[in-house]
Amino acid sequence: MASVEVRGLRKRYGRTTALDDVSFEVADGEFFCLLGPSGAGKTTTLKTLAGLVEPDAGEVVIDGLPSNDVEPTHRGLAMCFESYALYPQLDVYGNLASPLRSPLFRLPASEVDAKVRAVAGTLGIDGLLERPVTRLSNGQRQRVALGRVLVRPARAYLLDEPLAHLDAKIRASMRAELKTISRDLGTTTVYVTHDYVEALSLADRIGVIRDGRILQAGTPEEVWARPVDAFVARAFGKPRMTLVGGGLTDSADGPAFVSDDGALRLPLPPVDAAPGEAVQVGVRPRDLRLRLGADEVPEGWSAVEGRVWVLEHLGRATEVTVAVGAARLAVVAPRAAVAGLTTDDRVSLLIRPSTVHVFATGDEGKRVSP
Amino acid sequence: MSVTTPSEVDRAEPPARPPSGPEGRRPTVSRRRRRLRPYILAVPAVLLCVGILYPFFVGVSYTVFNFSAANPNPAFVGLRNFAEITTSAPFWNSVRVTGSFALTATAVETVLGVGVALLLYRGGILGRILERALIVPLMVAPILAAIMWKLLLLPEVGWVRPILEGLGVTGYTGTDSPLWAFLWSVVVDAWIYTPFVAIIALAGLRSLPASPFEAAAVDGAGWWFTFRRLTLPMLWPYVFVAVIFRLMDSLKMFDIIFGLTTGGPGDSTTTLQINAYLESISYARYSRGITYMVVLWAAVYLISMILVGYLRRLQNRTAGEAA
Amino acid sequence: MTAPGRPPGPETRRRSPVAAVAANIALVVYFAFSLLPIAFIIALSLKADRDQTTTYLWFSPTFDNYRTVLGLDGGGSSYVRFFLASLTTSVGAVLVSLVIGIPAAYAAARWRFKGSDNLMFTLLSFRFAPELLVIIPLAVIYRQLGLYDTAVGMIWVLQLVTMPLVVWILRSFFADFPVELEEAALLDGYSRRRVFVKVVLPLVRPGIAAVSLLAFIFAWNNFIFPFTLTSSNAQTVTVSSLAYLGGNLVRFNLVAAGAVMAALPPLVLALFIQRYLVRGLSFGAVKG
Repeated sequence: MASVEVRGLRKRYGRTTALDDVSFEVADGEFFCLLGPSGAGKTTTLKTLAGLVEPDAGEVVIDGLPSNDVEPTHRGLAMCFESYALYPQLDVYGNLASPLRSPLFRLPASEVDAKVRAVAGTLGIDGLLERPVTRLSNGQRQRVALGRVLVRPARAYLLDEPLAHLDAKIRASMRAELKTISRDLGTTTVYVTHDYVEALSLADRIGVIRDGRILQAGTPEEVWARPVDAFVARAFGKPRMTLVGGGLTDSADGPAFVSDDGALRLPLPPVDAAPGEAVQVGVRPRDLRLRLGADEVPEGWSAVEGRVWVLEHLGRATEVTVAVGAARLAVVAPRAAVAGLTTDDRVSLLIRPSTVHVFATGDEGKRVSP
Repeated sequence: MSVTTPSEVDRAEPPARPPSGPEGRRPTVSRRRRRLRPYILAVPAVLLCVGILYPFFVGVSYTVFNFSAANPNPAFVGLRNFAEITTSAPFWNSVRVTGSFALTATAVETVLGVGVALLLYRGGILGRILERALIVPLMVAPILAAIMWKLLLLPEVGWVRPILEGLGVTGYTGTDSPLWAFLWSVVVDAWIYTPFVAIIALAGLRSLPASPFEAAAVDGAGWWFTFRRLTLPMLWPYVFVAVIFRLMDSLKMFDIIFGLTTGGPGDSTTTLQINAYLESISYARYSRGITYMVVLWAAVYLISMILVGYLRRLQNRTAGEAA
Repeated sequence: MTAPGRPPGPETRRRSPVAAVAANIALVVYFAFSLLPIAFIIALSLKADRDQTTTYLWFSPTFDNYRTVLGLDGGGSSYVRFFLASLTTSVGAVLVSLVIGIPAAYAAARWRFKGSDNLMFTLLSFRFAPELLVIIPLAVIYRQLGLYDTAVGMIWVLQLVTMPLVVWILRSFFADFPVELEEAALLDGYSRRRVFVKVVLPLVRPGIAAVSLLAFIFAWNNFIFPFTLTSSNAQTVTVSSLAYLGGNLVRFNLVAAGAVMAALPPLVLALFIQRYLVRGLSFGAVKG
């Protein structure tokens, strides 16, 4: 195992900037997740780490050694490609054995056989060893690709969206398997995904990347509870956090937020912005509560009036979108609680000001709440 | 396919736990050497190009001398060769012959080729059988095709005269009249190269997306409308590639005419390259011959620039529409 | 008639039968035009002297003409020598183009290095340049270098025909090859050369074979280069086909026999390249 670090990576393709000063470190044995939308530069970063892409600037450091000039073959990294990149002319056994037979490892046939069968067993594909890879299902091919990574010793694993093309059901079970395998092996891993659930469940630390820049790198708790800007805040959670634009005012009880159309008013704890400044606030749906009837407003909570905008029944829970003026706030409530509610009914929401995130305006408005 | 549960993983032999990094050396390759890789691979090809360009430049240099068998040690004459040919009737005749040949042959082949492609695209047993034979004329060497047609057109030996007379055509002259020598040359060219256009057009037809046509059918569009508004415009970028190839090739036509008529009768089928051959090889007036070729090459270069530019715009447009 | 969007299926049966008959007739007419000349020349090549001008298809075939052309009847002939010369120069030209062209095509496909566009464009200009532009100075240069009328000289000049084909088409094949397979092999521990040989070549091999055959066909069919740059040693079979046309007593059946034999190899080889034909003919501009 080894630590892996990139510093200041830059890469342009013609007029498109793929990487714009990407830096992060992954400690020895750490599972680091690179999370971002498509086109953010995740795969480019991974390939730069592996030496398959030459950066215009920046350094790749593997195990403390600057490795920019080290050929991909000798960096000791194993990569699982999003497209799997299985050798079509070989069968499953041949694909799994390929690294072990290469000039780099050159293991004797008996050892190769033992390792291949061991990995195949772990991943549940030992019945497929004779099958040509062109006749495998997507899930099976993904396992072979993963097996080709796990079969050989490596300083770090690079996994590029390994679960992206799997059916939802298989994805969930593969996620659990990956978690187990990585826990058992303890190998440094850089895992690329656009799915925040994978990131939250698998990673020791997450790096949120957008347009070739790392916006925030931190533990799952950090990026969830204290997102560094509006983009990172909305990257996690479903339903996504709604952001409401408005201004900061001073009221008798301290700073308060007033939405642009005046419909939403919230008291706020002290924030890093001056009264009169334009800001946007966001609340995660799970920090909202639907106020039933004329219940008392508990200590520390505020009530906000609105109308039911949309009701989406999802099994035992219902996603209620409440219109507060022009803003649409989403809250998840048990089905029983919303029985009898229809569109346009008056409802109120309970919000705890301490859970409110306040950002400067804009897609990547910086965090100003504590 | 069984999935190992977590407990099975604990009990089973864990996959070879990677030691702290593969104990490998980490040799480095300097950035400069990495950058040189593509150049090293391409060097032989570049050398070959230089080797070919050398005689080309030597040839161009002939144009400003009066090099011929009569003048083995030529004198520099500036642009006199170019001035001479612009006032020489044979030159302009060749230009006329070359231009009309190229345009006529390309037009005939394009229309015929697209037509054959459409017919074959319909499918059916006949079409599928005949499609296998489409490529045959294209594989025949142009000179051999010319000889074959020369024999075919002979009044006594060939089949053309009896077939034409059977269809009621009288006054058969073969290639003896200037007009018919020209026309039969176009026929031979079309005989060889119509399959070229047809094959490319057929591939284009087969790669057209189905949805626009299905939508048109649902909307009740008739055949002619679909053909004019959908098929032709979508097919045009493919056909145009074939047109460029044919046009550029027929401008330098040599083999067919040499085999069929040797430029005759008179000079009614003397294209620029035939003329250059006569000047350089038969009359050994190297400089004059090369001057013809330089003019032709300049024309071909310019025309190809324009056509390829148009093709790029076509391809960008269809790529944009498909996106 | 339904629009051509998908291969016509049962739903197109409602097309009028008149149109179907007309289409079939048109196809037959075209293919008659296309194939009858071939039938003619084969028939002519099998005719005895007296049958040449008297009958069309009603004659008893004879192989005497082939025997004469091949020199098997004791009359002696250089035809076999010319045939072998065609073989040598065509095979040689293709081999040289492959050796030089494969690395260049791979480099141009994988790396957009400075000058790669220039190189590709220069090669394309070779394809469209009028041949005599190069032949006229070459005739002089070759005589000086002693390359006139030699196989080596022909192989060199035929690069103008084969190289552009090889490089342009192979470049499009290499560009289509998924680069991640090569990347995976690199990370598995193979050197770049082994990656090319072990991963890329086996999968591109059919394409390379097809391009080689196509290049061979075009080299074989070439007339103007051997016509002007060889005389008796390295003369190819396409040039020799003119030989029987001269003289006092023209024997058309001999001309026909010579032409048929000269046209045979490309036709036979064409059977093997059907799959890659479209991409080959259009220099990779159209994916077939």
